[in-house]
Amino acid sequence: MAIITAGIDIGTGAVKVALFRVDGERTEWIGKRNERIRRRDPFQLAESAYDDLLREAGLSREDVHYVATTGEGENVPFRTGHFYSMTTHARGAIYLDPEARAVLDVGALHGRAIRIDERGKVLSYRMTSQCASGSGQFLENVARYLGIAQDEIGPLSQQADNPEAVSSICAVLAETDVINMVSRGISAPNILKGIHMSMATRLAKLLKAIGANDGVTLLTGGLALDSGLVAALNEALAEQKLKITARSHPDSPYAGAIGAALWGAFRYEKLAALGQLPQAS
Amino acid sequence: MKCYIGIDLGSTTTKAVVMDGKGEVLGRGITNSRSNYDTASAVAKQEALIDARLTLVRRALAEEAALAGAAEGVLEGLERNFRLEQFLEQLEDLERTCLANAEHDRHEDLRKAMAEALEEIFGRLRADAEHLYAPGAERKSDFFRDIAGSRYMQRAEEVAREAGLPFDPLLNVYDKSIIEVENRPPAGDIGGKFLRALGRVLAEGGVHADHEAVRAAVERALAVELEEGYVVGTGYGRVRLPFSKEHIRSEILCHGLGAHLMYPGTRTVLDIGGQDTKGIQVDENGIVVNFQMNDRCAAGCGRYLGYIADEMNLGLHELGPLAMQAKKTIRINSTCTVFAGAELRDRLALGERREDILAGLHRAIILRAMSILSRAGGVQNEFTFTGGVAKNEAAVRELRKLVKENYGDVKININPDSIYTGALGAAEFARRAVEA
Repeated sequence: MAIITAGIDIGTGAVKVALFRVDGERTEWIGKRNERIRRRDPFQLAESAYDDLLREAGLSREDVHYVATTGEGENVPFRTGHFYSMTTHARGAIYLDPEARAVLDVGALHGRAIRIDERGKVLSYRMTSQCASGSGQFLENVARYLGIAQDEIGPLSQQADNPEAVSSICAVLAETDVINMVSRGISAPNILKGIHMSMATRLAKLLKAIGANDGVTLLTGGLALDSGLVAALNEALAEQKLKITARSHPDSPYAGAIGAALWGAFRYEKLAALGQLPQAS
Repeated sequence: MKCYIGIDLGSTTTKAVVMDGKGEVLGRGITNSRSNYDTASAVAKQEALIDARLTLVRRALAEEAALAGAAEGVLEGLERNFRLEQFLEQLEDLERTCLANAEHDRHEDLRKAMAEALEEIFGRLRADAEHLYAPGAERKSDFFRDIAGSRYMQRAEEVAREAGLPFDPLLNVYDKSIIEVENRPPAGDIGGKFLRALGRVLAEGGVHADHEAVRAAVERALAVELEEGYVVGTGYGRVRLPFSKEHIRSEILCHGLGAHLMYPGTRTVLDIGGQDTKGIQVDENGIVVNFQMNDRCAAGCGRYLGYIADEMNLGLHELGPLAMQAKKTIRINSTCTVFAGAELRDRLALGERREDILAGLHRAIILRAMSILSRAGGVQNEFTFTGGVAKNEAAVRELRKLVKENYGDVKININPDSIYTGALGAAEFARRAVEA
């Protein structure tokens, strides 16, 4: 029997929803939504995105067998179950890129590296420390300051000819540094590339720390689509003599939501077999 | 009239003080710092000169016994309507800029709909303006960027929903445009704006004095020439100020002197600014003998509260009063300013009251300030608290408690104009350069 399952990933910067139909080995992705939060209520956004997706698919809430949340989604009232984001990103990464043996989830606040096996099982992981320097939030603040839209960041960064190193350690103080750079006439591409380089160095260290030495690493999370970051990361990996290919997938931001949906289907089947079916509302 | 000007170019805000030859403060002005330091200091200076004009109007009204009773009403209305005039002027600039930027939007198919949406948004913003500056109305901030930004956000969401447009491109256009608008040199015609503001005040009908006499007094005050005798700059951005070297003093020196001018008995100064926290010890002449400041991390600075205000969609002014209503103090574990914002969201989701979380955040900021103070050699009698955070009653309450616990009964000074301490010291240096 086909299972309709939804994954809702509430992050610090955006809400992602993915809708799947799972029938044994066959997995069909029915719909997706990615909404940036920007001071709106993430739970309301999640709910309206979820309902929109259902409507587009010609489904109603009663048709959904499992609503799986991840990220900060634990308090979504209509969820069936919640999954830890480490496992959802791992599962989502394997779905998007079966060759991936490590995941680098770069979101608004956290960067984390996860080593996985070919089935998406988490082998080890490491996260950035309790400081927001080099976070996506920082990059977003800088971009807003420079008047640059999110999807312009990557292409601009790749035009840099003389990147300016970010000297400051702290995300907040670094903003002032950036103000200073602008007043010194440093170009936006060189500023952005400098930030990408500093982020890339940290991320490369994380990969080293989890023991990823070669193979494919898939970037997930909101910053995965930043081509400037991906380029800077590959440069940093080469510099640190790591034979890792870091790449991204157009649907990388959905990795958490995909993983949640697929784990949801998996759990539903298990529970169905045990005769302990949950009730989605 | 000869006047002396001090400008403190901070990382978050730029402050200016205008002083007369006798050392009396005529006016104070503040603006947010931007990428263009020339513009930031020009705006702050202009704001201080506007405030100085109001002082001159106050004096002119006081000179005529018949107007004495009406003075407060006239001044309040004049300032409020002047701000409205300024706001409308900048709003118009913002609208023009947004429309021009929307023309260049990468999404060709959206352009027409965007232009229509923008016209609708700005129409609503203009309609809001009168209410924003109505008598007794409270604004979340004094800066155009903040006021216009939060209103725009709200209106854009409404209009986007009604028109079935995506919300993001409308915000991107705003983000792009606000920077251009902010970094344009300030508009002139101060006198014209004052006269239009006066027209509005008199038309509002609250002034019960001879309108012609009031008009004559205001015009007399506007006619006084304010001659810039000497300007001294200080603060984080001082090296980039468009001044020659002899017009620049270090901010530690200016803060020490400024605190000394306000409270001659002061020995320890705590300054919590936007991005730095300073503990300063001064001698009986206001000369700095020791100091410590944060580096590498912004934890415990004013921006901490700024982030929190943003997260809660509140004005910076609203945080203190809310925290004062706390029933308990929630412990905040994040040191990092940015992470504290996320922790706040978690706590809210867990059902904690915002008042109690805010109390915890205020305690966190002051705990960090206390550690800087102890590294600077502790708190000595008298102790002066300066910088933007000194205006925040919840922070002050926490500071008083912790100073008493750690250093006993020390006299604590807090001046309502404490945010101008550095600019005040700079203005005094400017005055001494000529008059002394």
